[in-house]
Amino acid sequence: MKPKEIDWNRLSSIISRYRDRKWALIPLLQEIQDTFGYIPRESIEPVAEGLNLFPSQVQGVITFYAGFSLEPKGKYVVRLCRGTACHVKGARSIQRLMKKELGLDEGQTSTDFQFTLETVACLGACFLAPAMMVNRTYFGKLSPAKVVSVLSQYRKEEGEH
Amino acid sequence: MEKLQSVGQLEWLRNKILAGMDKAESVVQVCMTGCRAYGSKEVKEALEKEVKQRGLSEQVEVRGTGCHGFCAKAPVIAVEPAGIQYQEVNPEDAAEIVDRTLKNNQLIDRLAYRDPQTEKPIFYRTHIPFYAKQEKRVLAKCGRIDPIRIEHYIAAGGYQAIVRALSKMTPKDVVQEVTSAGLRGRGGAGFPTGLKWRFAREAEGHPKYVICNGDEGDPGAFMDRAILEGDPHAVLEGMLIGAHAIGAEHGYIYVREEYPIAVEHLAIALNQMTELGLLGENILGTGFNFDLTMKMGAGAFVCGEETALMASIEGKRGMPKARPPFPAQRGLDGKPTNINNVETWANIPLIIKNGASWYKQVGTEQSKGTKIFSLAGKVNNTGLVEVPIGISIRDVVFEIGGGIPGGRKFKAVQMGGPSGGCVPVQFLNLAIDYDTIQRIGAIMGSGGMVVMDENNCVVEIARFFLSFTQSESCGKCAPCRLGTTQLLEILTRITRGEGRLADIDSIRELGETITESSLCGLGQTVAKPALSTLKYFLSEYEDHILENRCAGATCDSMVISACQHSCPAGIDVPNYIAAVAVGEYARAVEIIRERNPFPGVCGRICIHPCEFKCRRGELDEPVAIRALKRFAADWYYDHIGFAERPFPVTHDHKVAVVGAGPAGLTCGYYLTKMGYKVVVYEAQPVAGGMLGITVPEFRLPRETILEEVRYLESCGVEIRYNSPIDARHTVNDLMAEGYGAVFIAAGAQSSLRLGIPGEEEGLKGIYHGLQFLTDIRAGKETELKGRVVVVGGGNVAIDVARTAMRVGAGDVQIFYRRTIEEMPAWEKDIEEAIEEGVVINPLWAPKRILHDHGEIIGIEFARSRTVFDEEGNSHLGVDEKRTQTVDAEAIIISIGQAPDVSFLSKDRQLERALWGSLAVDENSLSTNIPGIFAGGDFTSGPSTVIKAIASGRRAAIAIHNYLQGDKGRVEIPDEKTSMQVDLGLALDDEKAEEKPRVVVKMEKPEERIADFREVEKGFVENQAMEEALRCLRCDLERDRR
Repeated sequence: MKPKEIDWNRLSSIISRYRDRKWALIPLLQEIQDTFGYIPRESIEPVAEGLNLFPSQVQGVITFYAGFSLEPKGKYVVRLCRGTACHVKGARSIQRLMKKELGLDEGQTSTDFQFTLETVACLGACFLAPAMMVNRTYFGKLSPAKVVSVLSQYRKEEGEH
Repeated sequence: MEKLQSVGQLEWLRNKILAGMDKAESVVQVCMTGCRAYGSKEVKEALEKEVKQRGLSEQVEVRGTGCHGFCAKAPVIAVEPAGIQYQEVNPEDAAEIVDRTLKNNQLIDRLAYRDPQTEKPIFYRTHIPFYAKQEKRVLAKCGRIDPIRIEHYIAAGGYQAIVRALSKMTPKDVVQEVTSAGLRGRGGAGFPTGLKWRFAREAEGHPKYVICNGDEGDPGAFMDRAILEGDPHAVLEGMLIGAHAIGAEHGYIYVREEYPIAVEHLAIALNQMTELGLLGENILGTGFNFDLTMKMGAGAFVCGEETALMASIEGKRGMPKARPPFPAQRGLDGKPTNINNVETWANIPLIIKNGASWYKQVGTEQSKGTKIFSLAGKVNNTGLVEVPIGISIRDVVFEIGGGIPGGRKFKAVQMGGPSGGCVPVQFLNLAIDYDTIQRIGAIMGSGGMVVMDENNCVVEIARFFLSFTQSESCGKCAPCRLGTTQLLEILTRITRGEGRLADIDSIRELGETITESSLCGLGQTVAKPALSTLKYFLSEYEDHILENRCAGATCDSMVISACQHSCPAGIDVPNYIAAVAVGEYARAVEIIRERNPFPGVCGRICIHPCEFKCRRGELDEPVAIRALKRFAADWYYDHIGFAERPFPVTHDHKVAVVGAGPAGLTCGYYLTKMGYKVVVYEAQPVAGGMLGITVPEFRLPRETILEEVRYLESCGVEIRYNSPIDARHTVNDLMAEGYGAVFIAAGAQSSLRLGIPGEEEGLKGIYHGLQFLTDIRAGKETELKGRVVVVGGGNVAIDVARTAMRVGAGDVQIFYRRTIEEMPAWEKDIEEAIEEGVVINPLWAPKRILHDHGEIIGIEFARSRTVFDEEGNSHLGVDEKRTQTVDAEAIIISIGQAPDVSFLSKDRQLERALWGSLAVDENSLSTNIPGIFAGGDFTSGPSTVIKAIASGRRAAIAIHNYLQGDKGRVEIPDEKTSMQVDLGLALDDEKAEEKPRVVVKMEKPEERIADFREVEKGFVENQAMEEALRCLRCDLERDRR
């Protein structure tokens, strides 16, 4: 599967809703990212134009925040927590296993755009350590067994479609 | 909902809601926030379905709530008003909960919390220790109300504070009330909130802003998340009050996008407020205008810093600015701004509603109120706790947190995340408040407490934090941008075993420079994790650098498997376990003997540090490594027993060893194996040292020691019995006789004295621990009767007590001056002693021995009392007023041992250590005289067999180096055996279900105390093979990385 073609109409309708609004850059970028799964490079100039900014300012904000990505992401974004609690409870070996299972390094997306592997500073789910999120769902107290079963669940869902 | 036009209408609404809520007889509160990851949503749906099916919808309300706090047992539900808690609830449990508990008021045993000691169920929340020591004020509603229903908040007394502030107080009064409450910023810095408000209030400029900082980025912290998810209106009400006090018209709440539930609940709450007219113009008809906007963070830790956060709200890169000007003067958009953390805002309604004097009832002189902590890491009861400021760290970690899982040792608790430091064990009694924690190099921080146990490496933790801050440093100022990179590089080098001693000073210097010269709070605190671990765990840094040793056994470059690394002797555990698994027992013994020539002894009495580090222990229980070692050794001595031929002598040098204990014989064995001729001089008629003369028969049969010694002799180690080294035959004489080197390992066998009246008067019935054990082992007739009092708490004291039970004592009482937990004796032995009827009386210190006509009649004790100094260090004192006299027919004093150096009287040129033994170099064990080495208990003081063995092998390598003219350091890295057994065993099976450890059989207590039979029976063959298969083969994982 390929990432969605950029729907220019949708993009400009989003931008027009934020046009000339004060301090709107980050919420606007968040909406673009929510809609497209990433921020297409081609949207930098129209965004800058809409908010009366320089494209470099837009680009600067995108690259500053870890939450924004200029690369398309997979359908399922796996976010492994690398917080302290997870770390002391063995998140490193979970990370190793996850890389092996998905065949991806941190920040990479599979060629079929199914999975993206990311690490995140802390999910604030320390009581579940070691923890991860797949899109918006939390998974906790990860063991190698659980990692494998969660992943196979998402792979299976895919197979059924 | 209609817009409320006046304060009175809000009260009217509250009464209306309350009237409507009275219908339900019980409420089932299901955590729908943190527990969602455990399927609480399905649990709630199942409960709703069952309630509906039984037509109970009128009587029972199933309510989704915020976090209950006890996250360790998720999903957690509570049944109110009964106060029942059920834990780890599945959707399948719903029918039973409805039928039994809700319909028939019955309690369900299997869903209840269990007391970890007694295993008894505890049904009522107030009786569960986790909740008992907490003081829920800010979190009072969290977990009880439905956070997405504003009616619940209002019914629970919400928005009463804003009503009071708007109708009865001037803005100035509000600031005054907050000031006198003594609230300090909960985000970490602890700045007085009232003062901050005053600055913003008095600042010139318009409009003014209030901001809630919900960018909770500290790894290890989840307090703000829980408040925002579980009681969002409390925070928003706090902001309304703050805006009124300061004169702000606009507010922002900045929350992490990584908290989707918090974002969702806040959005709902803001809508509800707008609908009710609690936001907008002319709020409650009082003329107060305020609007509030939510902003989502975009994943930058530095945005937790207030100036960076404001830049982010303005849509810019989140980079901090120099202060002053402070936000109170020029903040958001250059206007006066007041910014507080989520928890601080959530405290405000409590203060305004209940008054400052109520608020101040809890806390310390300098810090008032409660603090919420998120407790995580290696602690049993992970979760969210709210405690009065001033409670001790010990109370939080051990009373509320339930201590460390798996019986492992506490190492430190990391407070304040990447900006904080670690609090080591000696400060556990410290009262938690901003100032005390700051003093010891950590910070109270926003409230993240991550507990670390002995299996965590502090250097690696420091490296972890630095890698976090390095990647989160915004890069604006050079000290932080470059300094974090350098610090990270140094720490990484150390964890890779490539560190240099000079690195330690570099960390200190660099750390201080970054702290002093960075622009913002991030940079000013980044060095703390490194500096504080360095301060309290310097030796761990040095061990990484000098010895390639990692105390937590986690640093990859120096660790093959944790069990091997934690073994003082460095035995290749996984491979010999695998050899047992495939039935190659002789090979198992050979692998053990590469590092330890006493498999039979260690298979019985080793304290097995390996098992505490075993990764299987994280899954269910550690592999029974010690018992497997015993099985292999016993099989070996039953079937083989001797070396086929002695090791050939290939070197000209001869080596003498003084003392045929574990250290001396180990040294002799490895030197013989290397091709040296070794003679071991032993004063006693038997070999084994402390093992043979003091460890009781029921723990270590004499035959086992003999088998091991006979094997060593068959390898070519010559032991000369009855050959003391003393004034008549000195160490100097040995050198003169042509030995190239001498290793002194004479043990620590003189008993320490108490120094109390009556001890040294030659009274009948007084014994000293070691002598007593020696006499019994030697077969000397010793018959006890009546009550025997044992003074002490070490291994020898326990051995003495158990031996006393076996030689006629009617009643054995141990008295120890500290607590049972603090006894240095091995836990297993303490348990076995108690099973056998030994009574332990902790916290009593001996005062004097009572006697009559030369015979003992009893002993007087005074109550021990722990005194804390300013830093929270404990010292033992006695309460002279609380004494007790215990009748006794015999008293055995067993408070410790020391080496006896009197035999060295003529070798005066040997340098002594301060405490009486010989001074040696820790790495090479060499004394000040070339060629003379010393080790084992003799130089370390009483320790464990495995440490003595490790010391003996170290000496052998050092002596070899010395004789070969090699002056380098002794390096003993972990190595894989050449006899690898590659089964690939359970590694891929790690996904498999739990499989508990095979239990070793024991003799029954009532039978075994009749004689000296061995208490532990050991594995039979099929048990051993089954147990060996539980090994996860962590050693193989390394190759696969």
